[in-house]
Amino acid sequence: MNAKEVLKGHKSLAEFRYELGQVEKGYTNRSLYINLSDNKVESKPVTDMMKEKFTGGKGFGLWYLWNAVRPETKWNDPENEIVISSGPLGGITQYPGSGKSLVVTISPLTGLVIDSNVGGYFGPLLKFAGWDALEVQGKAEKDVVIFIDGNEGTVKIEETPIEEKDGHQIGEMLTEMYAESEDDKRNISVVTAGSAGEHTLIGLLNFTFYDVRRKVVRLKQAGRGGIGTVFKDKNIKALVVRFRGVKGDLNHPSDISRINKAGVRLHKEICKFDDVQNKMRQIGTANIIEVMDEYDLLPVHNYKYGSHPDTYKIASNVFIEKYITQGKPDGCWYGCSLSCAKAADHFEIKTGPYRGQFVTVDGPEYENAAGLGANCGIFDPQYILESNFYCDTYGVDTISFGTITAFAMECYENGIINKEITGGLELNFGNAEAAMELLHQMSRGEGFGLIAGQGIRRMKRLFVEAYGADPKFLQDIGMEQKGLEYSEYLPKESLAQQGGYGLTNKGPQHDEAWLIFMDMVNNQIPTFEDKAEALHYFPMFRTWFGLNGLCKLPWNDIVPESNSSALEPAKIPEHVQNYVDLFNGVTGRVIDKEELIRQSERVYNFQRVFNIRMGHGKREDDKIPYRSAGPVTVEEYESRRERYDQQLIELLGYNPEGRTTEEKIAVLRRHREDQYEKLIDAVYARRGWNNNGIPKINTLEMLGIDLPEVIEAVQPYL
Amino acid sequence: MIKVNGRDFEWQEGLTVAKLLEKKRYTYPKIIVKVNERLINKQQYVSTVIYDGDDVKVIHLLAGG
Amino acid sequence: MKRLGKKDELCIGCNQCVDICSNTYFREALKEKSSIRVNMESQKGYDINVCSQCGECIEICQIEALYRDKNQVVKIKKHDCVGCLMCVGFCPEEAMRQHDDLIEPFKCVACGLCAKNCPTGAIFIENVDLVELVALGETATAGE
Repeated sequence: MNAKEVLKGHKSLAEFRYELGQVEKGYTNRSLYINLSDNKVESKPVTDMMKEKFTGGKGFGLWYLWNAVRPETKWNDPENEIVISSGPLGGITQYPGSGKSLVVTISPLTGLVIDSNVGGYFGPLLKFAGWDALEVQGKAEKDVVIFIDGNEGTVKIEETPIEEKDGHQIGEMLTEMYAESEDDKRNISVVTAGSAGEHTLIGLLNFTFYDVRRKVVRLKQAGRGGIGTVFKDKNIKALVVRFRGVKGDLNHPSDISRINKAGVRLHKEICKFDDVQNKMRQIGTANIIEVMDEYDLLPVHNYKYGSHPDTYKIASNVFIEKYITQGKPDGCWYGCSLSCAKAADHFEIKTGPYRGQFVTVDGPEYENAAGLGANCGIFDPQYILESNFYCDTYGVDTISFGTITAFAMECYENGIINKEITGGLELNFGNAEAAMELLHQMSRGEGFGLIAGQGIRRMKRLFVEAYGADPKFLQDIGMEQKGLEYSEYLPKESLAQQGGYGLTNKGPQHDEAWLIFMDMVNNQIPTFEDKAEALHYFPMFRTWFGLNGLCKLPWNDIVPESNSSALEPAKIPEHVQNYVDLFNGVTGRVIDKEELIRQSERVYNFQRVFNIRMGHGKREDDKIPYRSAGPVTVEEYESRRERYDQQLIELLGYNPEGRTTEEKIAVLRRHREDQYEKLIDAVYARRGWNNNGIPKINTLEMLGIDLPEVIEAVQPYL
Repeated sequence: MIKVNGRDFEWQEGLTVAKLLEKKRYTYPKIIVKVNERLINKQQYVSTVIYDGDDVKVIHLLAGG
Repeated sequence: MKRLGKKDELCIGCNQCVDICSNTYFREALKEKSSIRVNMESQKGYDINVCSQCGECIEICQIEALYRDKNQVVKIKKHDCVGCLMCVGFCPEEAMRQHDDLIEPFKCVACGLCAKNCPTGAIFIENVDLVELVALGETATAGE
């Protein structure tokens, strides 16, 4: 049936009219609240307090969520919210990477706040439609579509008869349904989950934008932490926003000249240097597949190893030459000349319900090639792209899926699970067919897919309780922390990165800090204090992108000429100044690079306190599986024996001669675990937290985030 | 013996920046090379000789995807 | 293909072209709002900077707001353009212009008004064969 016909079948549950507002200096100063249990829709003011303390984006999301939930709230309780907000800089068109949406909710995987930074047009169009943030609470009885018309000033909640369940279908259908013409399609953005969101805890959200050149709907993912699962639980089929009339001044910035200057400067840099630096315009983040392999950092066989002889089969040149359409301006919002949102067009699907169809696959991004491919021992570009497509459209987080599958494969190869338990899936490393079937099972809600879809933490528990697995071994090799699966870098040889993963708020995702080269290769942060400083500065700096609707990549995936003589090149000082200029240019406030960090510190500490309020956020929650810190098994040790033996001699004065591998593993492990504890001590001290990881009162006071309810949440632990 | 990023590394006759990068398998394109704190441009990698006792820094600028 | 041709060696730096251009399109005599610029500091003498109609910018624009008109002149659809300025940063001639008073960039559309008033014939409207230009490598092909 054509989309317009389906629209006639929509049943209105609520219609809300609002005055079209105007964005002033980056803010609309109001947010949209929707409760699906009683179809209540209302406008809430965005207060000066919120702007001052939380800035916007993820900050606003955390604040609304904090007020919506109780310490006991579970992910599937109706009071849990999904909050989407861009940020004061979101929607500017002149500077690359300025169209991001930040999504927060209580995660089904972690029971904590998850935050995800996603491209596509939704966040900026939502703002231009009149709303700094969208809060969705409650649960609908039947599937609904929420439609925000930013030109008419209406919000509609409609029951929908749409039967399609997968992201790419719903994205296309609703774009078709709500666009008045082909030209109007770029004014629409759709948020959807997928079929696997109903059956797994690793469901993601797709955010669309219409690709005018390809004439297809593109999907960008809020991947981590199961937000799509929450979305499905609320019976939301889709959120749709339409806004016509995007222009470079819609944020009504205080000083557009500063924004223009910074933007043109960065466009020129990218034009001049991207070809000789990261080739983001050719291949996006996948440029580092072979780099990671070369430096022994590419996760292989569930993070046992850092490289593999077959990596050349999935190296970036393979995707450039055979799959990824070249020479297209692939930005996920207007003005992104870094253009990492690559796509493989006319890609033929070989398995599953869409077999034989030709589709546009967004990607592969580095994480997907590494997680779906190398980490599972599958060095097959066709599989990587096809599983990438299915993960997206089924609404499955590629990172969790990759890490889970790698874990299941190691368990299978160790006899912890067998063919009987997996329902016939031979989950050996390298078995692409079995991995693909596992993914299809997640969509259908069948078989071992249901078990794997629960995530590693619950799988470990099940394998111990039902199949008698050794809990210690599973704790060592199951690459999850706080309930979230690790993203795709091997941090074994970088203590700082072990902290970069372990000392995060939401779980082991590298968006807070990626310090491997600074630490392991460059040796720029040799002492605990140096590492702690890096684990303060970088997580705070990177948090700031999420407060403002920005992408991290244009910060350091392109490097200006001035950087080679910069005092602290890892910070990319010229680009930090760009961000200061952008913030001041849009908001009219006057911040410097120190205040920029403080803006983040407020929100970062607030999120930590939020975790504490939810019963976590303490030192014991920051423990990491040993696989991320050192060799667990004999084969791992032996594969890098020279390196580890050398370390025993140099760092510990321990003579490995004549010792068994097991003995050497134990000695190395004691050392490395001790180092990690010392790192925690140093980082907590630098962040102004006590030894149990609780932010101290005077830290909260100094930052001005000492709200009474915040103090109340930490008081019992101080 | 020379220092590479603060760690000892065996020196040999005729070592240049280009040869050192090859030996260390430093293949990443976004690097800054300094020999005794002096910045070396890419075009000079082949011609810049490293002497015994030199302090070499090869700073990789990569901060993750 | 119609475009504004130039002979730098004939330029005397009178800047009449600049005034005419900005006056015609923006009703003020302001160098920053002219599509044609004359660089006076050049060692070799005067250097006329203006769009060569190579079309590289057409490929850069993600929403197809740049196109060639029937005379093959590269033009901007102001209605579609959001003012992202990527074309400004990526122009190989640095001849795509931007001014903070305006959202959209602007460029030479080979109208020829400046050429009519040039006292030395340093600028002139010419017709060049697009196919020839491609052969000479002067224009962008799809895929950069």
